[in-house]
Amino acid sequence: MFELKAGLTLNEKLNILADAAKYDVACTSSGVDRKGEKGKLGNSKACGICHSFASDGRCISLLKILMTNHCIYDCKYCINRVSNDVPRATFTPEEICELTIEFYKRNYIEGLFLSSGVLKNPTYTMEKMCETLALLRNKYKFNGYIHIKTIPGAADELLAAAGYLADRISVNLELPTEDSLKKLAPNKSFNSIINPMAKISSTIAGNRVLLGKDARMERSSGNKYLSHSIFAGENVRLDKSTESSKADAVTSSGQVLDLSAAKETGIFSDSWKKRSFAPAGQSTQIIIGASGESDYTLLRTTQKLYQTFDLKRVFFSAYIPINEDALLPSLDMAPPLLREHRLYQADWLLRFYGFQADELLSEDKPDLNVQIDPKCDWALRHLDIFPIELQTAPYYMILRVPGIGPKSAKRIIQARRYGLLDFNSLKKMGVVLKRAHYFITCGGKMMFNTPIEEKYITRQLISVNSKENWQVTHTEKYSQMSLFDDFGVS
Amino acid sequence: MKIFTCKNRFEDMMTCIFNAWDLALKCGHGNVKLMREPVLQYTFMDEYIHVEPDKEKADRVINSIIKKISYEAYVNIYYASLSDEDILDDIYRFLNIGFRMGPKVINMLTNPFVMRLMEQKRKVVNEIHYSREFIRFNSIDNKVYVCHWEPKCDVIYMAARHFADRMPSEHFMIIDENRRYAVIHPKDSEMYMTDLSDEEMDILSRTEQYADEYRDLWSVFFNSIGIKERENRKCQRNFFPLRLRKHAVEFMDEKNA
Repeated sequence: MFELKAGLTLNEKLNILADAAKYDVACTSSGVDRKGEKGKLGNSKACGICHSFASDGRCISLLKILMTNHCIYDCKYCINRVSNDVPRATFTPEEICELTIEFYKRNYIEGLFLSSGVLKNPTYTMEKMCETLALLRNKYKFNGYIHIKTIPGAADELLAAAGYLADRISVNLELPTEDSLKKLAPNKSFNSIINPMAKISSTIAGNRVLLGKDARMERSSGNKYLSHSIFAGENVRLDKSTESSKADAVTSSGQVLDLSAAKETGIFSDSWKKRSFAPAGQSTQIIIGASGESDYTLLRTTQKLYQTFDLKRVFFSAYIPINEDALLPSLDMAPPLLREHRLYQADWLLRFYGFQADELLSEDKPDLNVQIDPKCDWALRHLDIFPIELQTAPYYMILRVPGIGPKSAKRIIQARRYGLLDFNSLKKMGVVLKRAHYFITCGGKMMFNTPIEEKYITRQLISVNSKENWQVTHTEKYSQMSLFDDFGVS
Repeated sequence: MKIFTCKNRFEDMMTCIFNAWDLALKCGHGNVKLMREPVLQYTFMDEYIHVEPDKEKADRVINSIIKKISYEAYVNIYYASLSDEDILDDIYRFLNIGFRMGPKVINMLTNPFVMRLMEQKRKVVNEIHYSREFIRFNSIDNKVYVCHWEPKCDVIYMAARHFADRMPSEHFMIIDENRRYAVIHPKDSEMYMTDLSDEEMDILSRTEQYADEYRDLWSVFFNSIGIKERENRKCQRNFFPLRLRKHAVEFMDEKNA
C-alpha cells in the first residue's frame, strides 16, 4: 500500500499510473468544437482526433492516467483494489500539468483523461483532481480537451467544479445491475453512481438551454430523419414552444449542481461559469463478462441511459481477469472480445441506425448472435420485407440494409434524384456489396440470382463474417493445424 | 488533339482550365485534354501546350465556379487538386457538367467524373486528417517545434492551419520531406511557405535526433497503455498504417514496430 521508495522518478510514476489507467475504455476527444486563442494553448475538434494506436489496436487520443492508484476501496474486478499488492504512486498536480502541456505541444495527445483511485475519501480525491484541472486551465492556459472521471460519493460542489473545468465528465457504472454491484463492488452503491449521473445530466441540460441550445445533446444528423430512433418521440424531445418553461423545470428541480457553494472553499473561481458545463456531455462504462447479465439487459440499460440521462456514449469493456476471487470468472478465461464487439455494433445501431434494443433482442433471445453481426441477424429475421428497391426505398429502410451505413445511405438518396443507380456506382458510394446484395434490388434486379431463403443467406453471411470474427477473437498467434482440434474430425 | 499541361499548383491548374476552355469553344471539348506536368510519355500525334500561371485568368475560373456552381464545389475542387493523382482533366470534365447543371452537380454521384472528384476529395481530406493525428513535433529547447512529414498528397498547408489555430503562440514549422518545402508559423503572426535548399534540409533533418526527455516519457506511456491480453497488431496497422510511422516517436524504437 505504501510507496517503498519516496522518490519515484516521473518516468516510473508515468509507467505505474498509465498502466493502472489502461483498463478505462473511453479515450475519445470528440463532441466539442472550440477555436484556439492567442496566448492560450489548444483547441478542440468535434470529430475527435486519435494520435496513436496502442499494441491492442485501441486509440490513444488523451493522456490517460490516474492521479493516484492508491485506493481505499476493494472492488473485486479492479487491479488497484486495496487488497492487491501492486506498486503505488501519486502524481502531483504540477507533474500532470507539465506532462499534458509538453505532450500536447508535440502533438502526442489531444488532451487529458484524468481518473483516480480513492485517496483518503472520495471528496478529498475529487478536490485534488479539480485542483489539478484548475491549475491546468488557469495557470498553464490549457484550452484543449479534458475528460474527467468522477469519484462516486464526492461532494456536489466538486462535481460542479469538475464539469465547468472539463469537456466531458463520466461516472463509471461498471456493473449494470444493483445485485452484481453489491457483490463485486461492496464499497459502492447503485445510488452513489446514479445520483451524480442524474445531477450532471440535468445540469448539462440547464446549461445548454442557458446558452440557447436545445436541452438534448446533439446526435448524429441522420437521426432527425428517423422517427423510430431512441432519441425521437414524446419522452425525450423538448417541445420548442415550451422550451423555456421546461428549462425552468429542469433548473428548479433541485437536482442541478451549483458552483456557488464551491466558491467558499477558496480554490474555485466564479470565472469558470463563463465556460459551458461539460460541453461534450457525459459518458459511462460497463464491464462485460464479469457478472452474469445477458446482452438484452445490457442493451436495455444502454438505451435507458441514452434516453433518461442523455449520455453521449456508453462504453463496454470486456472483462480481463486480473484478480483471483471466488466471485469472479477464473483467471484463464479469455476476455470476451467478440461479445464486446457485437455489443458495440448493437450500440451503433441504437445511436445511428434508428434501431431499438427491443428490436434486436428479446426475453426469448437474450444474447446477440456471435456468428453474424446484429444488423444481419435482424435482417435475416425479417426476410419478408427484403429485398428492397434502392431507387425508391425511404431513408430509414435503406439504413436497415446490412452493408449500408449513414454515409452511403445519404449518398444513395442524393444520387438517385439525378440518375439510375447501378451496383457499380453503389460500390463506389461505399456500400459493402458482399453483405448488401442479398437484401437489395437496383432497377428491379438483384445483383445475382439469389434465393430469398433464410438458411441459404445465413450460411453465406456466416462465411463472409467468419474471417472478421476470427480476427477479433484470435490475435496473431500461429499454431500447427490439427485435423482433430480445428476441424472436429474424430 | 491539343493537350494543355501545367505545373502542379492550384493557380496553374485554373489557368490551364481557362486556356483549354477558351480553345474548346472553337474546336469542342472532346478535342482538348489537360495534363499535369511532368508528362512522362509524349504521344506522337498530339500537340502539347505548356501553360504559365496567370492570376487574372485563374480568378475568373474560380469566380465562375463559385457563381455558377457553388462554393462547396469550389472547395471540393481545391481539395481534389491537392491529390497526388493527376485529377486535372477530371476537374475539367466536372466543370463541363457543372456549368450546365448548377449546384446540384455535386450530388450526381452516378456520373463517373463527379464520383472521381468526390473520391479524390475524400482521399485528400483523409490525408489531412492523418496529418492532424500523426504529425509529431520535435521540440528544440522548448522554443521551436519542428515536424517532418511525408504525406502522399500535398496537405501540409491545410494541416498547418489546424496547428496555427491550436498553438497560435508558438513557433513551429512543418516540413514536407518529399516536396522539399516547409510551412513556417512564427509566434503570434501569419504563416508562410518557403522552399528548402539541400543544405537547409540537411540541417533540419538533425532535429529528429535532438535529445528530449518527453520523447522518452511518451514511449513509456505508449508501452504501458496497451493491454497485453487484447494484443491486436493487425487492428493497430489498420488504424496507423506503416507508411505513416516513419516519423512517429513511439515507433522509432524497433521493438514497438
